[in-house]
Amino acid sequence: MRRSIKEKTAPYVLLSPYLFMLFVFFGYAFLRCFYFSFTEYDLFAPPQWVGFKNYLNLIQDFQFGLALKNSLQFAVIVTTLQTVLALLLAVILNQKIKGIRFFRALYYMPSITSSAVVTLIFMWLFQKKGLVNYLLTSLKNGYRIIAVFFGLLLMFQAFLVIGEKLKKRPVSCFEPSYLFLAVVLSFMVTFFLVKTGIVTMVEGLPPVETVWLNTKKIWPRNHRLFGISYPLGSIMLLNIWTTAPTFMLLYLAGLQDIPKELYEAAAVDGATKIKTFWYVVRPQLRNITFLVVTMGLISTLQMFDQVAIIGDQAPLDAVITLAYYVYINAFPSSVSPKIGMASAAAVFLGLLTLIIVLIQRIVVNAGEGD
Amino acid sequence: MTKRKVDTVKLLSEEEMLEIKLKRHRWYKVGMVYLVLLLVSILAIGPFFFGLLSSLKDNPLEWPPKLTVNQLKPANWVAAFRLSKAGCGKGFFGEFAPGAVIPFQVTYQVPAGKEPVIPQVVVPKRVPGTAGAALLIEHYAADYFRVSAVQEVKRESLADHSIRVTYEFTIHHTGDVVCDRLPLDITVPLGQQFVGATIDPNRPNERLGRVQSWNNLTAGVIPYIFYNYHRVFSENYSRTTGKNLFTSWIRNSFIICIARVLTNLLFASMAGFALARLKFRGKNTIFLLMLFSMMIPAQVTFISNYLVLRDGVFGLSRIFGVNTLLNSYSGLIVSGLVSASSVFIMKQFFEGLSSSLEEAARIDGASTYQILFRIFLPLAKPALGALTILTFQGVWNEFFWPLVVLTSPQDRFTLTIGLLSFRRMYGVAFDWGPILAGSVISALPLVVLFVVFQRYFVEGISFTGVKG
Repeated sequence: MRRSIKEKTAPYVLLSPYLFMLFVFFGYAFLRCFYFSFTEYDLFAPPQWVGFKNYLNLIQDFQFGLALKNSLQFAVIVTTLQTVLALLLAVILNQKIKGIRFFRALYYMPSITSSAVVTLIFMWLFQKKGLVNYLLTSLKNGYRIIAVFFGLLLMFQAFLVIGEKLKKRPVSCFEPSYLFLAVVLSFMVTFFLVKTGIVTMVEGLPPVETVWLNTKKIWPRNHRLFGISYPLGSIMLLNIWTTAPTFMLLYLAGLQDIPKELYEAAAVDGATKIKTFWYVVRPQLRNITFLVVTMGLISTLQMFDQVAIIGDQAPLDAVITLAYYVYINAFPSSVSPKIGMASAAAVFLGLLTLIIVLIQRIVVNAGEGD
Repeated sequence: MTKRKVDTVKLLSEEEMLEIKLKRHRWYKVGMVYLVLLLVSILAIGPFFFGLLSSLKDNPLEWPPKLTVNQLKPANWVAAFRLSKAGCGKGFFGEFAPGAVIPFQVTYQVPAGKEPVIPQVVVPKRVPGTAGAALLIEHYAADYFRVSAVQEVKRESLADHSIRVTYEFTIHHTGDVVCDRLPLDITVPLGQQFVGATIDPNRPNERLGRVQSWNNLTAGVIPYIFYNYHRVFSENYSRTTGKNLFTSWIRNSFIICIARVLTNLLFASMAGFALARLKFRGKNTIFLLMLFSMMIPAQVTFISNYLVLRDGVFGLSRIFGVNTLLNSYSGLIVSGLVSASSVFIMKQFFEGLSSSLEEAARIDGASTYQILFRIFLPLAKPALGALTILTFQGVWNEFFWPLVVLTSPQDRFTLTIGLLSFRRMYGVAFDWGPILAGSVISALPLVVLFVVFQRYFVEGISFTGVKG
């Protein structure tokens, strides 16, 4: 069958809008970024070729080092935790009970709103007189009540499980039906004890007034947890909270694709729930985990919005990331743009992303061998 | 004979007991599942819920944070309605109009042995919110009011011999101009404790509890409840054009979203179809390049893209008489006509469709275009639905690129960039009310979209991933 010119050109015609985007806003931009990284350029006068000077400056720039450190910390910690959390949420949601769709919608909520909205709400929660500090204060003042509650919980659960064991019936320590009974009972008893004033809040302790965000020049050295400044830590929490639900949906789809026979076979072999999860479910989710980790790494390495919105409400050194470093070099507020430096940092960020994704790929492939 | 009968009965009942016990266990198990689900959902939407609640409060940073909000008490609604009715004859949106007579009651308590002092009532010339808002006020109620003598109407002695006194007074409008608000301050000596008033004060504890202060007695029910929301709209006007900033931002966001959703749907279907179903040279290269582009951070490409827009896409925009595409909708729309991920989604979908339809159409002599627009697109409704939602969400929430492209004037901003300017403006004064209100408004369209089209959100996510 001979094809007419119209038919032959059809694919390219159909692709033309996308190709325009791909070539102008990606290909051309990508090459120009490379070119700019070897020049000195301020957006107005023509670029001057300077060779590797920008890259050398970059290595010597203290701020760049901080940005790199923050970005790596952020990417590794957030990707790990959000993957684990996403899987956990998916397992919780993978039930066949009434109203589960409602809960699924609820859990997905943090993912639909913009980073601007979520960051603003978080900034407000982390104010000195904000909800986070209030909850910490309540925890501190109410530790007796909490201790009593968990003590009772432990007691009831032990009581129920030992009772069942004495009757020689097989039962796990975390038998959910007993756990429910134990929670309800210990809640009621604790409530009674608090109402009658036998167990009270601790009075007279000063409220927790942790400073999560401040407007100083430098973030104090001692206000860090494992070397992570508090503002960056709160952005991590925020990011985990907003991204985990998206990946939860991927895991949920994966969990629902696992054939029922696999679970049944595991049950026949007498595997516990944890063993079933580790040896049956986890290998089935390997592809999704790969996808989730890759997408997580790419997006966390580019983290920008949260830092830009927090802006001067936190010291720059505490929150600066590579993406933000690129931005403030390209559009600084008072001096003229340093496009060369910005491009060099952007090239670095792009390479870093590719390398990390590649490493992850190699690790996963090696893991598949065993 | 009888013995046997008894035996069987006993056996049955034991089985039944076990049955009942198992059933009960199942119920407890389900109970535990719901308990866990509930606890986790507090974490998931707790921050939003508390933010929503606090966006109504006078002071979202009150300590200790409370779940009760004055603005949500029906008693205050009724009071706001009555006061506004007295102020101008309208209950829902009020003002302080000529001829208004506003009755007001306030109750104080003094410890035993102290004599209560008659409070001082003042209508202050207070500027609401930021300084910019003050420019819009033409007439201050402070210039046109008269307060009647404050009279004691009720006195009661409590069990601990402290005295509780209720005072009454009326505020009269003396001029002939309409004032849009009627603030009020009541001052008492230290130690005289505020108990209650016709309507709860906005700031009950000014100056160690000596001053109770109201923002606007005659606000009307709606501006009273949605005080911060009202401020979001009424306090922000562009200095250069005089346009209402927040409404401009909402409009801009909608226009850009709708335009980009449409272009994405069309162009992504075209490109996705070509990549999925047609054979041509360079197909694999294009696809690989597309995947590569999805991995490269926006920070790599944004400088060149900024320059491309600045120069009007190689001067092409001059044809339409526009020199630069910076600070304009068209800039954002042109640079986001179709994204790699949209093409990817459509490609995945079209690859999943069976080829028999296509072959049958080809035999009938249909052209490639006819096959796409007549056969494949009508079948692609689920994918197009998911793509609509995902694109709308993506564009609505986009932050980095608009921040680069839109710098001035302020009324060109999108909502996300507008919120950043809110943060800069109000955040400095720890005035979180309008910031939270603005956040809630900008989250609202997506929440509504999500509630209505929940299925598409879920499907969209799985299109991007699992099926790939």
